Amino acid sequence: MKGNSTASSHQPQTLIDGKPVSRREFISRLALGGGALVLLSGCSRWALPGSGAKDREKIYEFIAVDYSKCTGCRTCEAVCASANNPVSVDGRMMPGPGNPALSNIYVHSFNPDVSAPAVCASCADIPCVNACPVDPDPATGRRALFREAKWGGITNDPERCISCGSCVDACGADSVGILAQHPETGRPMRMCTLCDGDPECVRHCPYDALSMIRVTADHPYYRMSPEEIAEKLSNRWYDLSV
Amino acid sequence: MNAHPSGYHKVLLDINLTTGEIKKIPIPQEDIEHFVGGRGLGMKILWDRLKKPGIDALSPENPLMFMPGPFSGFPIPSASRTVVVTKSPATSPDTSPYPHASTVSYSNIGGFLGPEIRFAGYDGIVISGKAPTPSYIVIEDDRVEIRDAKPFWGMKTDAFDKTLVKELNNKRFQTCYIGPAGENLVSYACILHTTARAAGRGVGAVMGSKNLKAIAVKGTGMPNVADLKAFNNSLSDVRGVFKGLTGGLLTGFWRESGTAAVLQMMSDDGLMAVKNYREGTFAEIEKINAKVAREKAWVRDFACYCCCLACKKSGAVKDGPYKTIVHDGPEYETGVMFGANLMISDFNGLMKAIYDGDDLGMDIISAGNVIGFLMEAHEKGYVTKADLDGIDLTWGNVDAVLLIIDKISRRDGIGDLAAQGVKAVSKQVGRNSEQFAIHVKGLELAAHNIHANPPRALCYATSNRGACHLSGDNIAHQNFVAAVDSLGLCLFASDHNKWMLPGISKRKIANLLTAITGIEWDADKFIEAGERVFNLEKMFNLREGFTREDDQLPDRFFAEPFTMGPEKGARLDRQEFTELMDKFYAERNWNPKTTRPTDEKLKQLNLEFTI
Repeated sequence: MKGNSTASSHQPQTLIDGKPVSRREFISRLALGGGALVLLSGCSRWALPGSGAKDREKIYEFIAVDYSKCTGCRTCEAVCASANNPVSVDGRMMPGPGNPALSNIYVHSFNPDVSAPAVCASCADIPCVNACPVDPDPATGRRALFREAKWGGITNDPERCISCGSCVDACGADSVGILAQHPETGRPMRMCTLCDGDPECVRHCPYDALSMIRVTADHPYYRMSPEEIAEKLSNRWYDLSV
Repeated sequence: MNAHPSGYHKVLLDINLTTGEIKKIPIPQEDIEHFVGGRGLGMKILWDRLKKPGIDALSPENPLMFMPGPFSGFPIPSASRTVVVTKSPATSPDTSPYPHASTVSYSNIGGFLGPEIRFAGYDGIVISGKAPTPSYIVIEDDRVEIRDAKPFWGMKTDAFDKTLVKELNNKRFQTCYIGPAGENLVSYACILHTTARAAGRGVGAVMGSKNLKAIAVKGTGMPNVADLKAFNNSLSDVRGVFKGLTGGLLTGFWRESGTAAVLQMMSDDGLMAVKNYREGTFAEIEKINAKVAREKAWVRDFACYCCCLACKKSGAVKDGPYKTIVHDGPEYETGVMFGANLMISDFNGLMKAIYDGDDLGMDIISAGNVIGFLMEAHEKGYVTKADLDGIDLTWGNVDAVLLIIDKISRRDGIGDLAAQGVKAVSKQVGRNSEQFAIHVKGLELAAHNIHANPPRALCYATSNRGACHLSGDNIAHQNFVAAVDSLGLCLFASDHNKWMLPGISKRKIANLLTAITGIEWDADKFIEAGERVFNLEKMFNLREGFTREDDQLPDRFFAEPFTMGPEKGARLDRQEFTELMDKFYAERNWNPKTTRPTDEKLKQLNLEFTI
């Protein structure tokens, strides 16, 4: 884990069906077929904040991956790109053809076989927003990158963005590393929109590997890079390192 | 909507490795309408490029093509396939005026390659010439480079796959490459993608002959859709095919066990290649079937681009001498050809052999077939242990298999002969060994035995690339397969097996194709495109000098009935089979004597240019 990892200093508590388990146990359960836990215990409530959760660790929604179910098919990429890049046909907006280069979720595949979809973690401490050098708007208090109120998604204000890439660097240094600069505009891309609360990737994943859940920083694999995740899973599944 | 609202880029990437010239060339609209893409369009280009018969498949003139189809790149379930099209380095007619005569070759590979070629802006890649030194090609949208592969020449595929990712420094590249077998022109070398998905049947030797180690491709674009609204509706309709009434997915046995699901069934039904095709049932199948693979090796399921079937498994050998091997584990073909056909029932040993076969970059169908022949020839005393460089090539001996496939990949000693395929080995061994040299037109049969399966026998005998189990068991099926192979769609996601498995019908395919291309397609026109492709391939083979004599099966299937299993006593009847073939040629409007399509048929199919 990168950045503000606390995993090594103490064992945060997570609740599964109301019973506290250690982080270590939790990770091993998840990877050993614990996908069922996500379904059985109610997607949005299974990872509640531990007793030590601070105010700043406000709960946000994000797309959680059950790596034991993901097959690396990249359907999520295509449907994300379709929904978030609609096309106007005869004056009506409709889902685009689904170019995965425009997706906000990116599946990283490794040898030996591990597929690790990377998606915006909706970090509570918003390193990307905090790295934005644009002065906050006096009226709204927003920089060029900000967290929108409804779903907590990170949003870019194209009018005020100076295309400096600071947010992208911060995401790479402190979180998943999903943000990228648009090849033409230089503005940040791949912030998850959560599709207004009904994410297309979750709806269309053929393998039920994705769910929209509320998390705290002690969620397993949370904010890890795909490479770190792949190394851990590869060691566990195949008894090898990537 | 856009400049090319057609579902195609209408562009081929043309690379000449001799001169280093890289061009974008247009695709004529007529070729798109007649040959669709994938296998079909590849065959048309092959016909156009090779203007005369007898050109050596391993010469610089032979084009090597990577052909996605009009479905590739769209999130259509299982539209993940790329067809590698070239002239075959593995086949040959019995007699022909041309010393290098061979059939067409096509091999269909899953994964992510075809969609990425389309994202990069191409409907296909055509590679000709021969690089002066080992090279690889990097394609990033418009930017195409030929780079030095000397440091990687000789590398096995698993290690190379890992190295190339680091070299490219971007995980979004999709890559394909050859191993030592391809470099050393083993006639049944493969091109691999993601270390386990393989285009086989010899296409890797053609890549090796061009000094081409690998291709890496990455793109950011997308072909356009002619009618987006109709496309979105058709896409929902097609996704619905795989949805159960009560939720969840209908994935047949694909999700559960991939093709390995049928290992037990095919043995139980007497339809499996066992002991060099001598039997149809393997007494020890319970030791290597899908149940065992699931218990002993498989860890996770993997899928190709936008596929909901996930027939690929990944596994690891967890104990014994081959511990640390991480690989797919048996599929039907690999499990039979290195398992039952060689009487191997040591599951971990089978995993190791499959891993090594892929790592060396060879077609496990052909390798298992050649080794089965040598084991039988050894047992019969036609070849001695000394002939085999001291290798104890006896039924069930995994270590001997590991030794010989290594030798084949290096063309060392007996490996040099075995690398030329079972037809060449049998010719060298002599006596009556052609009776149990199991090939058609020089291409080795796959893991489906035919003593008790005349339609599959016809499939092997009439397939245009030499013995092929997927060519189709009858005319309708052959046309359907050729059409599906031209789309970029996986046959497993079509309804070709509708009594057993869910799949996309030709009507739904035609709807999607119309929405994407803006060309009016219906089910009949789609099947006719398949018939056109099949006939074009046939005309290519006829031009090379193939005759009806080449549509022959080895004597074993007629002369040596099964001695065990539920089909004990089964064999093909020569008279009945000849009648079946006569009927086939007549219904195809092919001359039964010469097997040439009639001029009327060729004209009807817009193939006048072949007359």
